[in-house]
Amino acid sequence: MADAAFKPLVRKHSEIGIFLIAILLIVFFAATSEGRWNNSYNISTILQITATLGLMTLGVALVVGTGEIDISVGSTFGMSALIYLFLAVRVDPFIAATAAVCVGALIGAFNGYLVTKTGTPSLIITLGSLMIFRGLAIALTSGFAFSIPYKERGGFSYFILGGDNMFNFGTFAGVNTGFLWLIFALVVLTVVLKLMPYGNHLLAVGGSSESAHSRGIRVDRVKLKAFIICGALAGLGGVLEAGKLGSADGSMGRLMELQAIASCVLGGCLLAGGRISLIGALMGAFVLSSIQSYLVVMAVRPQWFMVLLGIIVVFAALGDKKLRHWAHKH
Amino acid sequence: MSDAHPLIQVKNLDLYFGSFHALKDVSVDFHAGELVGLVGDNGAGKTTLIRVLCGIHKPSKGEVYFDGELVTEFHPKLAIDQGIETIQQSVGLCDNLSIARNFYLGREPMKKIVGIPFLDFKQMRSMSTKVIRAFGLRDNVSADDEVERLSGGERQSVKIGRAVEFKNRVVIMDEPTNHLSVREREHVNELAVQLKEQGLLVIYITHDIFQVHKLADRVVIMENGEKIEDASTDSMTAEQLEEVIRQGGRLVEKMGS
Repeated sequence: MADAAFKPLVRKHSEIGIFLIAILLIVFFAATSEGRWNNSYNISTILQITATLGLMTLGVALVVGTGEIDISVGSTFGMSALIYLFLAVRVDPFIAATAAVCVGALIGAFNGYLVTKTGTPSLIITLGSLMIFRGLAIALTSGFAFSIPYKERGGFSYFILGGDNMFNFGTFAGVNTGFLWLIFALVVLTVVLKLMPYGNHLLAVGGSSESAHSRGIRVDRVKLKAFIICGALAGLGGVLEAGKLGSADGSMGRLMELQAIASCVLGGCLLAGGRISLIGALMGAFVLSSIQSYLVVMAVRPQWFMVLLGIIVVFAALGDKKLRHWAHKH
Repeated sequence: MSDAHPLIQVKNLDLYFGSFHALKDVSVDFHAGELVGLVGDNGAGKTTLIRVLCGIHKPSKGEVYFDGELVTEFHPKLAIDQGIETIQQSVGLCDNLSIARNFYLGREPMKKIVGIPFLDFKQMRSMSTKVIRAFGLRDNVSADDEVERLSGGERQSVKIGRAVEFKNRVVIMDEPTNHLSVREREHVNELAVQLKEQGLLVIYITHDIFQVHKLADRVVIMENGEKIEDASTDSMTAEQLEEVIRQGGRLVEKMGS
């Protein structure tokens, strides 16, 4: 039976649910938007949004893998974007980007250090830094936007940092260079997670930190590293978003942390830790970006954005849960 | 058995969990090539004591010497590096990881490819497969299966197999025969004796004084956080030791009331 063959597959690959949801949604969007959603320009936009949200999502997935959570990534994203824009007009954009990513990593280190040293739940600590760094971002810009003058946005550095698309031929608008960074990060992190000792330790800590500790794993260090990587990736996402838009204000990345967490959950990551799927989480980010873009092209009033997004997330999560329940039944 | 210096020496050890006095002035020596039974009722402090020895708990007061040297830092990593392997009751396996990954958790074999250390899956699989076959796990269980799939006995077998497989100096077994069938039980007890005969120190924790009396060279009895008896199995019969446990329980009750 097809059933019998499919069940173990779903059991082993928690990300299958989100792939099915993605396919269903793509078919639905394409069928109902009269070409407004499924055109090359729009797809290219979706991929760009997926790239920056996806980088953030990968980082959150790693932290979730250790059994912790980081809800400050939206603020980190904003801070890094602002630092990049502030520095890019003064020094080489590459140096600016490096500095911005380092600030992201530092925010991650701040979170990780507090969580592991004080034993305070990461939800509380990162809620604090969510507010601290959002407040700082708004204070630093004092209501204005940082931007790079349009005529200065040339050169390879800008191009590779999300400033333009590549592979554009014919009517296809191409893929934003930010997407390359996403693919690169996905490949590296997947290798680290599946094939290297750190990945083994990370999942062990998420599965049972007590057991990992008893086997000599330095649980605190594993968690700290995950937070640092998470901050750096959110920072890189912010840089690429800033590179694409060329400007940002203090609200950059606001509420993106919720999308990143939703992407992880939709993608089959267990919030309790120990089981994550990076490709699934990225698919989650893609689905959320697609939904958003569908609502835009269908001219749904922005007020309904969040409501609809939330409803779809809840239903997608329920569907995914049903699927997994079915797969685990004998 | 009374050679120059003990492999592990515990001196006047106290441990508090908050206001709870879990270990009270415990002093005990353990020698290489010795199988020591650590016996006592629930809550006697057996598991707490060995959790100090394997680095999970740091003592509040007192000293621990390993191979003549004072232990100043307590972490499971350091204990494992020194060759102290512990088979714990409730911890030690991560359900979400495969048998092979659990087997090598914290001491993964690595293969360098262009200088980058990758897990050596070939070795991880072959070694853990060998062990799970030797311990008679179901034929349809593979080293790639998650530990979640295993029964209580099989989980215990993986832990014991892991402890035996690495080159160690001390193997601590906390109620190793719980959840095991009669046949598996015998196998584990044979292993404990074999390890001792290879020159290792084996500390065997159990409720069952009669079982451990047959295996051990010496029995240490704990009660309410204190050591109340430390005698070689030649000098006392199992019945006498059982009486000590009963008396000890009564003494403590009297003291408490």
